[in-house]
Amino acid sequence: MPDTIKLEEKKLKVIGTRPVRPDGVPKVTGLARYGADYSLPGMLWGKILRSPHAHARIRSIDTSQAQALPGVKAVMTSADLPEQKFEYVGPERVAVNFWHMTRNIMAREKVLYEGHAVAAVAAISSTVADEALRLIKVDYEVLPHVIDVDEAMRPDAPLLFADMITRGVEPAPGKPSNISKRIELKIGDLEAGFAAADEIVEMDFKTAPVHQGYIEPQGCLARFDTDGQGEIWASSQGHFVVRAFTAQLLEMNIGNLLVHPAEIGGGFGGKTVIYIEPVAAVLSRKTGHPVKIVMSREDVFMATGPTSGAAMTVKIGVKKDGKIVAADGLFKFQAGAFPGSPVMNACMCSFAPYDIPNVRSVGYDVVCNRPKSAAYRAPGSPISAFAVESVIDVAAARIGMDPLQFRLKNSAKVGTPTVWGPKHAHDSYAATIQALLKHPGYTAPLGKNQGRGVASGFWFNNGGESSATAHVNEDGTVVVATGSPDIGGSRASMALMAAETLGIDYDKVRPIVADTASIGYTHVTGGSRVTFASGIAVIEACKKVIGELRARAAMTWDVDVDDVIWEEGHARPAGKNMGRFEPLSLKAIAAKKAVTGGPISASASVNAGGVAPGFASELCDVEVDPETGGVKILRFVAAQDVGRAIHPSYVEGQIQGGVAQGIGWALNEEYIYDQAGRLLNAGFLDYRIPVASDLPMIEAVLVEVPNPNHPFGVKGAGEVNIVPSMAAVANAVSHAIGRRMTELPMSPPKVLVALDSGRGD
Amino acid sequence: MAQSPARVVLTSGFSGCYTGGVKEFEIEAKTLRGVIKALDELYPGLGEHLEEETTVAIDGEIHEVGYHQPVRPGCEIFFIPKIEGG
Amino acid sequence: MAKHHVTATINGNGVEFLCETHQTLLEVLRDELGLTGTKEGCGTGDCGACSVTVDGRLVCSCLVLGVETEGKSIQTIEGMGVGKDLHPLQRKFLEHAALQCGICTPGILIAARSLLERNPNPTEEEVRYGLAGNLCRCTGYHKIVDAVLDAAREMRRA
Repeated sequence: MPDTIKLEEKKLKVIGTRPVRPDGVPKVTGLARYGADYSLPGMLWGKILRSPHAHARIRSIDTSQAQALPGVKAVMTSADLPEQKFEYVGPERVAVNFWHMTRNIMAREKVLYEGHAVAAVAAISSTVADEALRLIKVDYEVLPHVIDVDEAMRPDAPLLFADMITRGVEPAPGKPSNISKRIELKIGDLEAGFAAADEIVEMDFKTAPVHQGYIEPQGCLARFDTDGQGEIWASSQGHFVVRAFTAQLLEMNIGNLLVHPAEIGGGFGGKTVIYIEPVAAVLSRKTGHPVKIVMSREDVFMATGPTSGAAMTVKIGVKKDGKIVAADGLFKFQAGAFPGSPVMNACMCSFAPYDIPNVRSVGYDVVCNRPKSAAYRAPGSPISAFAVESVIDVAAARIGMDPLQFRLKNSAKVGTPTVWGPKHAHDSYAATIQALLKHPGYTAPLGKNQGRGVASGFWFNNGGESSATAHVNEDGTVVVATGSPDIGGSRASMALMAAETLGIDYDKVRPIVADTASIGYTHVTGGSRVTFASGIAVIEACKKVIGELRARAAMTWDVDVDDVIWEEGHARPAGKNMGRFEPLSLKAIAAKKAVTGGPISASASVNAGGVAPGFASELCDVEVDPETGGVKILRFVAAQDVGRAIHPSYVEGQIQGGVAQGIGWALNEEYIYDQAGRLLNAGFLDYRIPVASDLPMIEAVLVEVPNPNHPFGVKGAGEVNIVPSMAAVANAVSHAIGRRMTELPMSPPKVLVALDSGRGD
Repeated sequence: MAQSPARVVLTSGFSGCYTGGVKEFEIEAKTLRGVIKALDELYPGLGEHLEEETTVAIDGEIHEVGYHQPVRPGCEIFFIPKIEGG
Repeated sequence: MAKHHVTATINGNGVEFLCETHQTLLEVLRDELGLTGTKEGCGTGDCGACSVTVDGRLVCSCLVLGVETEGKSIQTIEGMGVGKDLHPLQRKFLEHAALQCGICTPGILIAARSLLERNPNPTEEEVRYGLAGNLCRCTGYHKIVDAVLDAAREMRRA
């Protein structure tokens, strides 16, 4: 039972230090192997033909010419993938419908967005494969399309699915629409709450879909034997999920598929789902050769999941003394071409930082002719937080209260009810606000055209299923294997926790990420869950090893195992035997492993619960150029409750990276479509993520309120940092120009329009 | 001495789908297994949905749904939508 | 279509390779020569992940054709450390935790070395503008800038 694991309170030796990461050297010498870096003898190149239309019926696909081209070994279409049952399976928020998934991997009846895969080839070279794609003839009947969420919700909008009846509405609507689902969460009495308010602030907001923007495009290599067994090397946030989805889509036994975790060049949620693995697998199965597929950057933008764009309305009622008495949020999220936006999270997280007695969150999941949305860092929460935290800022100003003090007064504490039902069990929100109140930046003077904004955010953090194995080597070093792909330094945190638990030096631990056949099931690296959940698995495995080491020492000393304790990396005689024998080091016990019973190793698999949420509060200063509308970030301070920082440098790195993504989301990033529904900026030149010269140093303030449910106090640190960022920037820009910014991105043209308009707070 | 039962709450979504709108229950059980079993006896099939589709908050602490999870007398149990991150 | 025969120097070693006319230096390095340390992030010269130097000049290898490197000297990430010794930039990146996923790291190291060759004593702003052609999505650049400034300090002392 992972929830009950607790080590005695004692001084930590290695946790909290900043050693060089175990996988560092290969990553600075170019030797680390990512998804596209794997090759095999006889390998073919796979390429995917993509739809030029936003919405069209596929009348026919003629692959005969491509098939006949010398060097082409196989051509595939959706006919090569078995049909899947139409059924939502799994948790509501992340319900998977394989009928949808197989159609996203390769279009069947219709293409639903520009870039939607329609066919694929495997050829002896990338050049031949490209040529073959040009020879595939697809006959399309172009259909009207819809891109914007409000337009997609209109009764006369073009329908992506002729039979989609909105779920979550009673009685069920009689007519199909693009609204896949409606969600409503509610506590208290909204009407009475607003009636008691002295001031009511209500505003509309829009955000653009933004891409995770990982620098490594998806890449994989697949090989299949004629006996049906297959292997895949893929860059992903979870090779067990790659295995599960691919096996389902190919109708094969999970045990017949082995997935190797390549190093992953960024994911941020975008690599928790699959795109190319089933295609490479089918092509390999058809040809008997290994097949490699690597996406182009254009493919990544057009066909992999961004997070949702949204249209939102948020209303809050406050008393003159600063108490928020009611809050109402309407969140309409673009799911992209298939249902499944993170709108549930948005509804749950939106007002979570606050103690508000009367709250309602209504969400809509809406399909439109864009790529299917995928998770992106605290999925859903940053979007609703942009709206809520902007309204909070306006409300604080309306009643003449300092925006941080206003937040502090209304901050959720232990026992505060949440809109999704249970009461908060942890409070650390106030500590993040206080960290900003104490920061000298909060009271530093501002110049002309400059403004300061603050905002806060909430994220659940995740626990769940993880596995780990600890092997004691014959020289006293220890290999620690987990099933969690290392996306930003988790090998270091696993090694630190193992070293701390075992009482040995950090450099005696070698952490590895094991393939799907070499370790137990482990859920994705996402949801800020790895250091928490896989960490618990590592600690549990190490504790089992300690039990074994004590038993081996007891055998050596001819004493009862209960009279042996483990302390600082040594077995020591205890009880009536105290002091009778010299302590035995891990190394000494390892050296005698054969005569004491053979190799020493232990595994632990957990479904880790007791995860504690993360809160963050952020402060941003900007300067707006009144002539160009350009926004420069002058200062950014991010205070985040991280539970305990196992390797503080990588925790700071998570915060700095999350904030940088939030700044890009706030100021630059968006998908731009033409009238035909074609994406105009499918490249890094025109989809502009922040570059080094766009940003200042980002000051990460680690607030450490340990989680009592984790042996070392871990909560999870990867995501909540992005939640407040757009609102912090928007509040700063709004104060700098004296106009309220309600639409993202706040790109120079939009800031200029706001400057020219008379619209104020 | 009679144990005080746990207060068990379902979301409106769940109660709408599976219990004809009944949201709250009082259940005596020592572990989450007992809670799920009791609910499944009241509404056959509900147990599997709870196991596969929810996360549970026990007195506010969020846990994965697992049979072993202890249930203290008088505690408050919410079955809530499972969350997944990025 | 006949392939071109090219003779060049890569990381100080004489190399001969065959390539198609349209093949980029990046494709040659990765797919023909097995030097996969140079990464492809975009293929259009926007992200800098494929940065190498050709005759000392910093370029995106996705924008150079393989055939253009005839007689040229190319430096890639695989040649950055000397034997067992890491370059000071490589060491400082590790010490400062200036990488998370690591995919942009080879390109940024090559670009940073080139920057410090031109300007051994850069300000923070000069580092930020000097590396503006190299995208990193993980770190927010903070620790990268710290690492480059620290390496520059050490290299000036050496």
